[in-house]
Amino acid sequence: MSDSPLARLNNLDRRWIFLAMGLSIAIPILLKLRFPEYPGPMARATFNAVEAVPEGSTVLLSFDYDPASAAELQPMASALVHHCAARKLKIVFMALWPLGKKQADGTIDRVLKEFHPGYQYGTDYVQLGFQSGNEGVIKLMATNVPEQYKTDSSGTALTSLPLVAGVKDLSAFKLVASISAGYPGAKEWVQYGNGAMPEAFSIVGGSTGVQVSQLLPYYPKQMEGMLVAVKGAAEYEMLVEQKYPVAKPEVIGQGRVRMGPQLVAHLLMIALIVLGNLAMIAGRSRGGAR
Amino acid sequence: MNGTTETPRPKQRLTLLWISLAALGASLLVLRAAVAAQADPTGEATRSLWTTVGVWTAALLTLGILSFLFRDNPFYKICESILIGVSAAYWMVNAFWTSLVPNLFAKLAPTLVRDTMLPSLPESPTPIADFVLACVPLLLGIMLLCRLVPSVGWISSWPIAMVIGVTAGLKLVSSIESDFMAQVGATVQPALAFDASGSFAFWATVGALVGIIGVLSVLTYFFFSVEHKGAVGKTARLGIWFLMITFGGAFGLTVMGRITLLAQRFEFLFRDWLGIGG
Repeated sequence: MSDSPLARLNNLDRRWIFLAMGLSIAIPILLKLRFPEYPGPMARATFNAVEAVPEGSTVLLSFDYDPASAAELQPMASALVHHCAARKLKIVFMALWPLGKKQADGTIDRVLKEFHPGYQYGTDYVQLGFQSGNEGVIKLMATNVPEQYKTDSSGTALTSLPLVAGVKDLSAFKLVASISAGYPGAKEWVQYGNGAMPEAFSIVGGSTGVQVSQLLPYYPKQMEGMLVAVKGAAEYEMLVEQKYPVAKPEVIGQGRVRMGPQLVAHLLMIALIVLGNLAMIAGRSRGGAR
Repeated sequence: MNGTTETPRPKQRLTLLWISLAALGASLLVLRAAVAAQADPTGEATRSLWTTVGVWTAALLTLGILSFLFRDNPFYKICESILIGVSAAYWMVNAFWTSLVPNLFAKLAPTLVRDTMLPSLPESPTPIADFVLACVPLLLGIMLLCRLVPSVGWISSWPIAMVIGVTAGLKLVSSIESDFMAQVGATVQPALAFDASGSFAFWATVGALVGIIGVLSVLTYFFFSVEHKGAVGKTARLGIWFLMITFGGAFGLTVMGRITLLAQRFEFLFRDWLGIGG
């Protein structure tokens, strides 16, 4: 007596599943499948938090991730920098992760210099770079930024950069945004930045899917906006691009591009879960197991 | 011995099929990459030998790691060893240049560091105080290394105690403020919600009720001083449901992250290496 096709699924070589998953991601990329995004409340809150900052104010963008998480976080970082520049906000870049500085440099080249060539270093934006010390960096910046950062990333004294020459502590910034892949990141910005001066500035965060569950409790009281992984990035990109379109949508559109494979892969996973359960039920009923 | 000819069993045939498929796929990929125009398709950019080498190295390492999905193999082992070796070396070099040099050596011997390692090191207005303060972590670091000598290993307990004490002190206040008091404040919400105009907000009320029921039932599950039976047991059971839904949501987000990482690697392989789908 042969097993039913469903029961035979129990013995399916798992490599067929790997192959199906690979194809479900590869085909949407090759076909450039895109699906409409509907911005959720968290992406809207992030967008509104940036919109609420008065024009000409200074914001602090902390790039707390490295290339390993760039697939999820770079789309939201690009959109955030474009959003801030489109609103004519002054931007101070920094990093709590060693390679975060490199990610910020790349974003400056691809977004700031490409779409906002009028932005001048020293007066419109400054790159402070990476400092070791994890949450200690935030804790010291809360009271004394020049003590933590005596120079920018290229060794120029902060006193000779007009944008940051007068900055004393974190209250100089109207908004702090942490694009974060883990420790140290957005959680530490809430604990040591917002905790030290809760009324001084708003905090928004973007995080990887893995880290989101740690940050959700902070939204919306302690963190005004939050971008949840590539889905949040895609929603935020949509809001930003609707109001501030760019000449090269592919730069501020990576998140939406990556949502195509997400949808197909998730459909495949749901189908596999359903099939797996049906196969288990079929196997049990045939074998008389409970 | 019965003298019959041995034929490949179904499992062996399947393995042969997979190996053939993998070899064919790999050959096609390499062939496609070899003829792909890795320069800008517009023709504006020029070819770069080192970029080409970098792209090929990254592509082959990516394929090597992915080959584990087929089965464990030497190609994967090589890629895994390279990853571990490079990561360890990177963190060691990174710690040296971002912690030891600017925070220790630059304080102990600023002139030497400026001449040899960090030309942009600014002059400190208080070099003597910097030197004295830097001696403290230097001493603690040496004490920590005593762990390598069994006869004086006990000395390393002191710097470890200091690290633990400082970390606890650093985190205590912020954790109580941000993770306890503020969270309690955010949880204590009115059960009935009204919007700005004063009218009843149905969905906000549902959200508030779910929050209240969820918090109370999950707390009940973790309350072990009372036996979980009767009303307490049912409430704890509801708490388990809330926990399971939370874990499911967290797992779903993790899956989303992993799919994104794979999509990004495929984008790299297709566009940067194979020159398709750009």
